[in-house]
Amino acid sequence: MSDNLGLAQLSDHLLIVAVVIYSLAMLAYAGDFAYGRRVKAASAAGKAARPVPELAGVRAGSGAGTPETPETPATAETPATRETPETPAVVPPAATDSGADGRERLGPLIRAAIGLTFLGMAVHLTGVITRGIAVHRVPWGDMYEFVTALTCVTVIFFVALMMRYRAWHLGVFVMGAVVVALGLAQTVIYTPAGPLVPALRSYWLAIHVAAMTLSVGIFFVAAVLGVVYLFAERYARRVAAGRSPADHGIMRRLPGAEELDRLTYRTVVFGFPIWTFGIIAGAIWADQAWGRYWGWDPVETWAFITWVVYACFLHARATAGWRGKRAAYIQLVGFSCLLFNVLVVQTFVTGLHSYAGLG
Amino acid sequence: MTDVHTPEAGIGTAPAGIPGEVPGQVPGQLAAETETPPVRPQPGTFGVMAWARWGWRQLTSMRIALVLLFLLALGSVPGSLLPQQGIDPAAVQQYYTAHPALAPFLNALGLFNVFAAPWFAAIYLLLFTSLAGCVLPRTFRLARMARALPPQAPRNLSRLPNSVRYETAMAPEEASAAAAVFLARRRFRLNRGRGWLSAEKGYRREVGNLLFHIALMGVLVSVGVGGLFGYKADRLLVEGSSFADTVTDLDAYHPGHLVSPTDLAPFSLTLDKFSASYIASGPDLNQPASFDAHLSYTAQPGGAARTYDLQVNHPLNVDSTKVYLIGHGYAPVFRVTDGRGKVVYDQATPFLPAEQSTYLSEGVVKAPDAKPQQLGFAGVFLPTAVNVNGQLESAFPAPYEPAVSMIPYSGNLGLNSGVPQSVYQLNTTGMRRIAAPAQVLTVGQSMKLPNGAGTLTFTGYKQWASLQVTYDPGQGPALISAIVALVGLVLSFLVRRRRIFVRAYRGEHGRTVVDVGGLARSDVGGGFEAEFAELAADLTSVHHGTDTGAVGPAGSAAVGEAGPEAAPPGGPESTQPGPDTVTTPDGSDHDSSPRSEETE
Repeated sequence: MSDNLGLAQLSDHLLIVAVVIYSLAMLAYAGDFAYGRRVKAASAAGKAARPVPELAGVRAGSGAGTPETPETPATAETPATRETPETPAVVPPAATDSGADGRERLGPLIRAAIGLTFLGMAVHLTGVITRGIAVHRVPWGDMYEFVTALTCVTVIFFVALMMRYRAWHLGVFVMGAVVVALGLAQTVIYTPAGPLVPALRSYWLAIHVAAMTLSVGIFFVAAVLGVVYLFAERYARRVAAGRSPADHGIMRRLPGAEELDRLTYRTVVFGFPIWTFGIIAGAIWADQAWGRYWGWDPVETWAFITWVVYACFLHARATAGWRGKRAAYIQLVGFSCLLFNVLVVQTFVTGLHSYAGLG
Repeated sequence: MTDVHTPEAGIGTAPAGIPGEVPGQVPGQLAAETETPPVRPQPGTFGVMAWARWGWRQLTSMRIALVLLFLLALGSVPGSLLPQQGIDPAAVQQYYTAHPALAPFLNALGLFNVFAAPWFAAIYLLLFTSLAGCVLPRTFRLARMARALPPQAPRNLSRLPNSVRYETAMAPEEASAAAAVFLARRRFRLNRGRGWLSAEKGYRREVGNLLFHIALMGVLVSVGVGGLFGYKADRLLVEGSSFADTVTDLDAYHPGHLVSPTDLAPFSLTLDKFSASYIASGPDLNQPASFDAHLSYTAQPGGAARTYDLQVNHPLNVDSTKVYLIGHGYAPVFRVTDGRGKVVYDQATPFLPAEQSTYLSEGVVKAPDAKPQQLGFAGVFLPTAVNVNGQLESAFPAPYEPAVSMIPYSGNLGLNSGVPQSVYQLNTTGMRRIAAPAQVLTVGQSMKLPNGAGTLTFTGYKQWASLQVTYDPGQGPALISAIVALVGLVLSFLVRRRRIFVRAYRGEHGRTVVDVGGLARSDVGGGFEAEFAELAADLTSVHHGTDTGAVGPAGSAAVGEAGPEAAPPGGPESTQPGPDTVTTPDGSDHDSSPRSEETE
């Protein structure tokens, strides 16, 4: 097996460039928080009164796909109005604000940040793909490749989520987390391109680890959303108690707590079946490679623990007294289990997933 | 109470904001079973049955199920961080040596065998009992629900999270009938009354949810079946040798509780040749690249011999019994002649790898037939022997420069003492090391023992493979259960349970007013707004006689113009002033109205 060293180096360089671009994007997102244009006072007040600040109207608008009518953004909001544009008189002012927020009010900094996010994503994806070509296999055979691939999923999923819900301002948190993860991958756990040990030579590598990569990348987004939710929830409580101004700089730009909670939940709901599938695929592979489909290997055990904790989160959201903050904490515990599995158990605890050799 | 095992159990939950507005709501049918803890019986006033019922209700409540789930996760943690008897018994022994005070205490708690410990079993059995107690009633309820009709439409549809109002030239009855035809064609379940129409869809959500939970129980049962009827054994096989799948011929035989020796598949198997290759350069130097165990086997005595190239990830399947390649090593061949000049030992001797990266292996030779005294040798095999500063080391796992270095002993091997001995260790208590200079032997070389005690010749080497024989009848059912669980999970997340209500009535100007309302009972993935918008638009087209989705005569469809003059019967709440009555799909203009999607 001859690895293409030139391509492997290109991949390394691309991934470093991606980190740099993501860092710039993060700075631009942060700069928008700090220096971005202030929203007009009237609409800010209008928004503060609404439970779901900026996503509410826009989401329906983006769903209907009518970006060409910025002057009557609310026409997209109900099917009947969409068909009768001659009745703009009924459009409430609040809807105009929220409708415009998503598309029209993006400052230059946030637009630069979005551009950088897309650019970084393209470079990142190219880096992951060239690594795969260089080693003639799927690019998630070792820990370094796993982290680079899963962060790529995170960014793609974030972009998809934000394109749908227009909550670009969350970018600073997602980009920050991705920069840290990718930076660690390149410094602490970097592994040069190489072939796989025989235990990993199976098409189940493509299936099992791909599912794990996907779901970890998605859970990553959910965890970031969960943290932001906790801040937004605290802020909402402070506003309700009159201890915080209703148009606080950062919070004003973020989706409301309720919307964040919903987004988090949907993200977990998206990732959970993929994680489940990953575990099943892993079990099938384990049966072929190790002679049993489940053997409480440390990594298996932690995958199980993670699954159970995310199941707890899904159930907690259905239980009175556990919704909201408690559920969010459970979700974060789930992600901590996941991180612990990836960073500690797979690296330091001896088990079959250590790939030290044949048995 | 028991409705709550489902994520967003709200299937049956009526939107909290409009309890009085839904006259037709049938509580028992889509029951909004809230999480009020059951009343605890007072001692003395209730009998045993009341306590049992209370206990059962507690157990099957979501709260307890959550606690049990947490305990399950928590209980698994020590199983991954402490050495486990079932996975690595040697590591448990090491732990005992390292922590002599703590280990017996941990052992008493079952922490060295967590996944077989009674307390762990108690957690998951309670959890699954709780699950069964929740899932079974829900299955019956679903069966009942599948035959029942959707509830009557609420009076005031504009209070629903999604609603539209428009006028049509059709008569109210005609409009209602047209809507019924339209919704029936979209496979909604319908219920009609005077001037109203209720339609519901998405029962597959609950079906998926139930499937998921029932399939989880299936996984548990399958694992149990595998444990009872399956078996697992190991066998180390040197090139050229054979074994039959019988209890006596297997090394570490672990049968399930209900396995008898005659149940073993009657195959026999020979290891013809083993080959391995390794990476010879680069950062992954010494890493294995491939393993191949070339086997020939017969499925039944007297059957035709077949060959198989056994590799990692490619087990051999003989009538559902699987043979796996799980390890390999070297077996140097030694010939021992004793003091009389008689050959007392001539065979391949499996050595165990002591260093994974170089395959430096350790082993012993025992020659009990040697005279005048028994002979024993302990030493190492080096696949690629190199001399590093006078120290003998192996540089590479492949046999490029095979060599052995053996220390001779003479005396009593202790084989007849009745104490079982490992074939990989020499019991030197009754033996004396023969003073001889340490000597490295390459293939063909011999070492002469002093005082004419005999010679040891390193005549060559073979390789061995260790095989695992596994039979697990629970495997197939477990896989099927897992797949069903996944399908159920996806179904319960993708499908949304939703209701569409239509009310058609004569407005104040004599024209027919149509109110369409929509309610997603569970909308995990989101998107009900869009679906409702599309449905409402199509329905509008139906009522305007333009099925193409185009708009009818200008002004015939008006949204939000309802105002006070066109109040629906019995709906004073809808008469909000002015433009605010625009009903946005997500209901965000109605601060008091419920957001029904995901009625978690």
